[in-house]
Amino acid sequence: MKTRIKELRARYNLTQDDLARKVGVRRETIVFLEQGKYNPSLKLAHDVAKVLKTRIEELFSFD
Amino acid sequence: MKAKTNPARKDKVKMIFLLILSFLVIATGSLWAFTSIRKGDIGGAISGGIIALIILIFALFVFIRGSKDMKQGHPLEDERSKRVMEKAMSMAFIVTLYLLLGIGWLSEDIIKFRDVSQATGAAIGGMAILFAIFWLYFNKKEI
Repeated sequence: MKTRIKELRARYNLTQDDLARKVGVRRETIVFLEQGKYNPSLKLAHDVAKVLKTRIEELFSFD
Repeated sequence: MKAKTNPARKDKVKMIFLLILSFLVIATGSLWAFTSIRKGDIGGAISGGIIALIILIFALFVFIRGSKDMKQGHPLEDERSKRVMEKAMSMAFIVTLYLLLGIGWLSEDIIKFRDVSQATGAAIGGMAILFAIFWLYFNKKEI
């Protein structure tokens, strides 16, 4: 799984800590998400996409 | 309509509950170790001490990590940490069944347990160690 979280997070000047707080998860969850090592629930994917002002399908890709 | 519970307050209650539970387990393990020493049972003292020590280390780790997260405004647990916990628990449970089978088989002639409580203690201690190992494994692995 590949994600664009890191790229979009940088665009909005958000740290991993900020993003974690905004979506209500632990910071390490964001770390694993960015590394593509965690398959999030639809709810979390939706929340992250909402904070990063994008759509889920643009945030995650499965090759 | 039911009022929504404050997550930070819920986490605080969870931490207090965890502390009390850890204290009880540590106290039981220590008591077991001390009574074994008084009876002259070194094996029982060592196993009781080891269980108390493992729980103490794990409780300290969880408590320090949890209070740090709470100070930073993060939840004590989220969907990933819950998933890691569930996987570690289920694996520890399954492997403990084999551990019990092994203990039962070995206790016939290789390991001599003083009584049933010592064998039970070994199984509980083994399960705690297995849980810690699986938790560390799944916490690093892609899930």
